Amino acid sequence: MHHAFKLGEVEHELWLSHSRGDYQLHLGDSLIPVALRRDDHGRCFITTGETTTPVTFAVRGDEVHLHIDGAAYTLRYRHPMDRLAAQAHHGADDAIRAPMPGSTVAVRVKPGQSVARGEALLVMESMKMETTITAPRDGVVESVHVVQGQTFERDTTLVSLVAEGAT
Amino acid sequence: MFESRPTNATESAADVKHWPFRSVLIANRGEIALRVLRTVRRLGLEGIVVYHAADRGAPAVRQADKAVEIAGSTPVAAYLDTAQILDAARNTGAGAIHPGYGFLSENAGFARAVEAAGAIFVGPKPEQIELMGDKVRARAFVAKAGFPVAPSAIEDDDPNTFVERARAVGFPLLIKPAAGGGGKGMRIVREPSALGTEIERARSEGRRYFGDGRLYVERYIENPRHIEVQVLGDAHGNVVHLYERECSVQRRLQKIVEETPSPALDEKTRQSICETAAGIARKAGYRNAGTVEFIFGRGEYYFLEMNTRLQVEHPVTEETTGKDLVFEQLRVAAGEKLGYAQADIRPRGHSIEFRVYAEDPAHGYTPTTGPVLALHPPSGEGVRVDSGIVQGQDVTAAFDPMLAKLIVSGRDRAEAVARADRALANYVLLGCKTNTAFLRRLLRHPAFVAGEIHTGFLDAHPEIAAEPEAAPALLQKLLAAAALVTRPVKDAADAVPAMHAAMGHWRN
Repeated sequence: MHHAFKLGEVEHELWLSHSRGDYQLHLGDSLIPVALRRDDHGRCFITTGETTTPVTFAVRGDEVHLHIDGAAYTLRYRHPMDRLAAQAHHGADDAIRAPMPGSTVAVRVKPGQSVARGEALLVMESMKMETTITAPRDGVVESVHVVQGQTFERDTTLVSLVAEGAT
Repeated sequence: MFESRPTNATESAADVKHWPFRSVLIANRGEIALRVLRTVRRLGLEGIVVYHAADRGAPAVRQADKAVEIAGSTPVAAYLDTAQILDAARNTGAGAIHPGYGFLSENAGFARAVEAAGAIFVGPKPEQIELMGDKVRARAFVAKAGFPVAPSAIEDDDPNTFVERARAVGFPLLIKPAAGGGGKGMRIVREPSALGTEIERARSEGRRYFGDGRLYVERYIENPRHIEVQVLGDAHGNVVHLYERECSVQRRLQKIVEETPSPALDEKTRQSICETAAGIARKAGYRNAGTVEFIFGRGEYYFLEMNTRLQVEHPVTEETTGKDLVFEQLRVAAGEKLGYAQADIRPRGHSIEFRVYAEDPAHGYTPTTGPVLALHPPSGEGVRVDSGIVQGQDVTAAFDPMLAKLIVSGRDRAEAVARADRALANYVLLGCKTNTAFLRRLLRHPAFVAGEIHTGFLDAHPEIAAEPEAAPALLQKLLAAAALVTRPVKDAADAVPAMHAAMGHWRN
């Protein structure tokens, strides 16, 4: 089994192992000696092979936030069990998440209802613009997680579809 | 920081002592509340802020001498609630109210209510807010005074001569439905021969969209630039300008980067546009800091509108002129004379402001939210940060997505741009995505480097907003760091005996 981190929409598999008191990163076919060190002033440095770079990081749940080489990045650790479950029933399309923070203007579906791909599930509002959230595939609504007027953050699950093959 | 620049000669404790107010209530939030508070406190005046519960931990609330909580159906509604703000002013004995920008800053009713409550409104007279707030009246006022407005023809003025008058406006021109908005039904006409047909098409579109076929036409400026001029007037009829700012880098009609001087203007045009702005303010008997906005293209400029308040981008003017604009606003509100002439204002160097937004440029500039897990703003020569956020707070969708402003100055534009690139690279904010990486891509774009940006530039170049794929070397660093700080990954490595690992490349 591999570990995996998601950067943007891309998942990267890797493994970390010990080597004489230090760590090495297994990435694709390469094996890279890596180290994270903190100096006397509290500054952190990441070493990969011959390169050492200052880094600022913050960990929050499964999210790792990093500032490296003049920009910020967020990587999300993917738990092996979640990845297995997702692979087992193509889970990516089961949860319909908010593309941006906003509020619910109208809910168009009820649990148990069959929906076709592209059918409107709910209407949300963000930045004074209305956006219609549609079904990513044919399926049956398992639950609706928001009510009209409710505000939510980005990535909040709005509607779940019954997993494919589960019905 | 502008505090280190030469301050106004007139600024002394003796003057402030004679002002008719000893305390200033700031009816705003975020970075501008803190910005105003900084000058108020520096002058030895009492600083009072009002705040909604969502802003309880904000720096301005913590640093104010007094802070009064106000409530509302939404956080924004609280800051728009005149009655609660005036109650807070009365209960704290505030002598003056500074509205900042946005919220109640251009609300004539609020300005009147403040004066009626016996406090001083740090802003223009209510009539001036009303005049400039009505875009049609303002345009007519400016045109009547002999200043340039875009040539136009309004059908309603005399429907029989409309086509004739439209032709006289000159080409290219823009036909707009009189009842329109949001760009619907607008048509650009480049050829005089097409005018008749286009007017008929615009009329039928106007009827379809708005149920109203009346039209007006206006000279169309291709790839226009947004240039505005800072003006300052006192209650004694003195008006000066503090030179221009260019704000052509915009997305969805909202400014992202502003700079002074404008790379678009030659010296002659600069003097002409700045004197025009001062002339308009003088004609209006304008009191307070204000901004006259122009549309500029092909050497021509036309009056767009006047903002009767402090602007978001005022710091670049402060950096190049050495004037603290909030101090100037307070002096004028206290009844002081400006005390200096136009020739005494000698800007030097170049200054650029970058708005740090909680947004994702690669996804249509949609707002982002999240906790501020780490915050290390940049510092260094020529670097100023006006910010209202603190580490540990949540960025929510309740307010405008602007988190902070990075203002970078140098002896010339090239030095300011180079310093800005470093400062943006060193701007650490983790937990909520911001636009700083996008701003770096923008300032490295050849068109920005050459100073050749127009207001439609970002729409025409979506590749600047798109996020580049991480290069292999960067990806290695990111994954290595992520692996080393993630418990399950490190635990798994520590659990495998070193000897086993030493056997070589681990395989699935």
